[in-house]
Amino acid sequence: MNIDYSKELPLVEGRMSIAEIEDLIAKPMDQKPDKKYYIALSITLSLLGLGAAMLALSFYYGTGLWGNNQPVGWAFPIVNFVFWVGIGHAGTLISAILFLLRQKWRTAIARFAEAMTIFAVICALVFPVIHTGRPWLAGYLMPYPNQHSLWVNFTSPLLWDVFAVSTYFTVSLVFWYVGLIPDFASLRDRTKESSKIKKFVYSLFSLGWRHSHRNWQHYEKAYMLLAGFATPLVLSVHTIVSFDFAVSIIPGWHTTIFPPYFVAGAIFSGFAMVVTVLIFVRKIFNMENLITVDHLDKMNRVILATGMMVGYAYAMEFFIAWYSGVQFEQFAFINRMFGPYAWAYWIMVSCNVIFPQLFWFRKFRRSIPVMLIVVIFVNVGMWFERFVITVTSLHRDFLPSSWGYYKPTLVDGGILLGSFGLFFTLVLLFAKTLPVISIAEVKAVAPGAQPSHHGGEH
Amino acid sequence: MASSGTYTKKELPQSVMRLGIILLVSGLVIGLATFALDSKRAVFNYLLSFVFLLTIGLGSLFLIALEYVSNAAWSTPFRRVAEFFSSYLPVLLFVALPLFLFLVDLFHLTHPAPDDKILTGKLPYLNIPFFIIRVIACFAIWIIYYLYAVRNSRKQDETKDQTLTRKNLVASAIFIPLFAITATIASVDWLMSLEPHWFSTIFGVYFFSGSVVASLAAITYTVVKLREKGYLHTGVVNDHYYSFGSLLFGFVNFWAYIAFSQFMLYWYANLPEETFWFINRWAGYWPVISIGLIIVHFIVPYAILLPQPAKMDPKRLKFASLWLLFAHLIDLYWLIMPQYHSDKNHPLLYILEIGFPMAIIGAAIIIFYLNFKKHNAVPVGDPKLQRGLDYRV
Repeated sequence: MNIDYSKELPLVEGRMSIAEIEDLIAKPMDQKPDKKYYIALSITLSLLGLGAAMLALSFYYGTGLWGNNQPVGWAFPIVNFVFWVGIGHAGTLISAILFLLRQKWRTAIARFAEAMTIFAVICALVFPVIHTGRPWLAGYLMPYPNQHSLWVNFTSPLLWDVFAVSTYFTVSLVFWYVGLIPDFASLRDRTKESSKIKKFVYSLFSLGWRHSHRNWQHYEKAYMLLAGFATPLVLSVHTIVSFDFAVSIIPGWHTTIFPPYFVAGAIFSGFAMVVTVLIFVRKIFNMENLITVDHLDKMNRVILATGMMVGYAYAMEFFIAWYSGVQFEQFAFINRMFGPYAWAYWIMVSCNVIFPQLFWFRKFRRSIPVMLIVVIFVNVGMWFERFVITVTSLHRDFLPSSWGYYKPTLVDGGILLGSFGLFFTLVLLFAKTLPVISIAEVKAVAPGAQPSHHGGEH
Repeated sequence: MASSGTYTKKELPQSVMRLGIILLVSGLVIGLATFALDSKRAVFNYLLSFVFLLTIGLGSLFLIALEYVSNAAWSTPFRRVAEFFSSYLPVLLFVALPLFLFLVDLFHLTHPAPDDKILTGKLPYLNIPFFIIRVIACFAIWIIYYLYAVRNSRKQDETKDQTLTRKNLVASAIFIPLFAITATIASVDWLMSLEPHWFSTIFGVYFFSGSVVASLAAITYTVVKLREKGYLHTGVVNDHYYSFGSLLFGFVNFWAYIAFSQFMLYWYANLPEETFWFINRWAGYWPVISIGLIIVHFIVPYAILLPQPAKMDPKRLKFASLWLLFAHLIDLYWLIMPQYHSDKNHPLLYILEIGFPMAIIGAAIIIFYLNFKKHNAVPVGDPKLQRGLDYRV
């Protein structure tokens, strides 16, 4: 295969004109949804309904319906929380960090990934709140002077999570919205006067945007600052999630590599989810020229790289457990590999470390069926990673007399499925009501939009 | 916008070579004097100097590999500088040889107390023959990749053959995972096992973050200096510095993040087998260095590099990169020297400790000078060169 390294790959394929790009992205909003859309929506809504019913049961009878019990007090709720927060990380990486690094290929995928960030964080937030057992008292998580003199525990990383995740959610939402303003204006301008409500809503959210030079100047400043805020926030969120485990002295949890390892794992799982969803989006909306195979190829490289980082962390934990000479650490890792939960450990290793190795080969990185299989494996593997970390470290701790085996109940499973229902319901609603690709940004990277060395008019 | 400009090969002035020789000779004299006065301190000082240059060489090698795998073009006009810095690696194998004679001074693990169960448990890994095998194996991997990638890069100057870029891309992709493993092994062997009872899973990442900061700082300083005097392609403009500035800023933050993670988790859990390493760095005069490290390696460079204009300003970049090289030296001092003496009230920063670092910097300048004389300072045949020169913020 011959690649010309002296040229950059085009970010928009198929010689699309600027107007064609806008029409293509705005199409789903101009039309009434078809039957298939309603079928998909009814599936996700049923899952959501199932989750809601299971939650209602849990609130009525109590959390005894879940599998959590001594010694595994942290189980599905924490596993699902960490899983969903992790999914959210890819969006901020793509939209903020790649922006700061001047990576233009982010434009076609940033909007969707950011939306997924917001939805994933919503799913994640459900779990710690229900895990408290009495979610109607969740207000007490916020520290405020009160007549009971009841204060939160400031030394607990679980509380830092409250601050970190809520800040992260707020900034992500604002960042997403700011990016949407120019597109709301484009939508407002193309909406006919006859559809009054639509016009009003778009006008309201576009905040009087006129595409003027001054508008853009302020916009770019704000966007850069928000990207600068979002970057340390996204890293801090999963760092603090890792602190939930690592500050304790439980063997298998207490290890210094946890913060960067969790961040790498979050990006890994998040990219896998973004690729999973984008494979369908580009097909259904005929966006193969905007979300090109090159985009997927690049994301698959990120998956390969972060997968290797996660693999490095597995190996390093294992080596240092032996090297440390601490018998509890050594036992924790032997138990992970060969104990009662060995099945979960080996699912994790094969999904996260072995299958992504296919992405070493260009052919596989660019093959839709192969990548779909790999990214689904990665999604499964990363869920199991959190399961392995949480459950295997707890079920056999220092005192053999208190060992046990954790089994999730049907209610646990129903709530997990419900979170997927919530996530994909939100994704479907988003895909129908807002531009899934940033119209303004993609126009700016279309061929001919920028003066260049090759074929520029200078 | 097509960026024009040319590159004409020039030699560095003789004064650079003279500076290198003066530093090398006077540094060696001071170093040997230290050795006569306090041989153990001199050996630790020698190790410090060795690791200092090793991290610059390794970091540069990593940055070369990263450029190929990420198909980055902005750094192509400057890749030669990184290549010259990674040429230290073959030399460093010989610099390491004298250390083998003093392993007993350096490493407590060479003579563990017989009733020390923790250390005897580590002997399958921490023993002298295996140590030497690991050192040689790591150097072999680094040198093989270095020779292969740099030879292809130089060949391209004449042939402009694009398949060479492809070959280096494949080699770099294979090298990066090997780099992660070998750099971790090196960090455990040369630094972490100085205190053989202590362990930390993030230590390899800590070593990596410091190496990248140091090598980026060295490359940035050299690039700015060379361009000032007109030794680089004339198509280079201040915009090209932006990525150096932001990467330096990013990795300063990354280093601080890793250092904080390591400290915070051990402080919070408060297990004696982990905290004693930090307590050692908090006894006697050591808080000065421990606190100083946070200021010198994080707070000051953070403040300098945060504003966007600073990332493209040659003056500020030069200052920040020299500062960071100094900070890296302090970081290594903080890692290595507490193991030298059990009495923590022992005087810090002994004046003669300037010897071996001076000598190693002198040697680095000489090698750089010779490389510069022999090879083009810009990869003139690289297909990505024009794309790199066209880069604008």
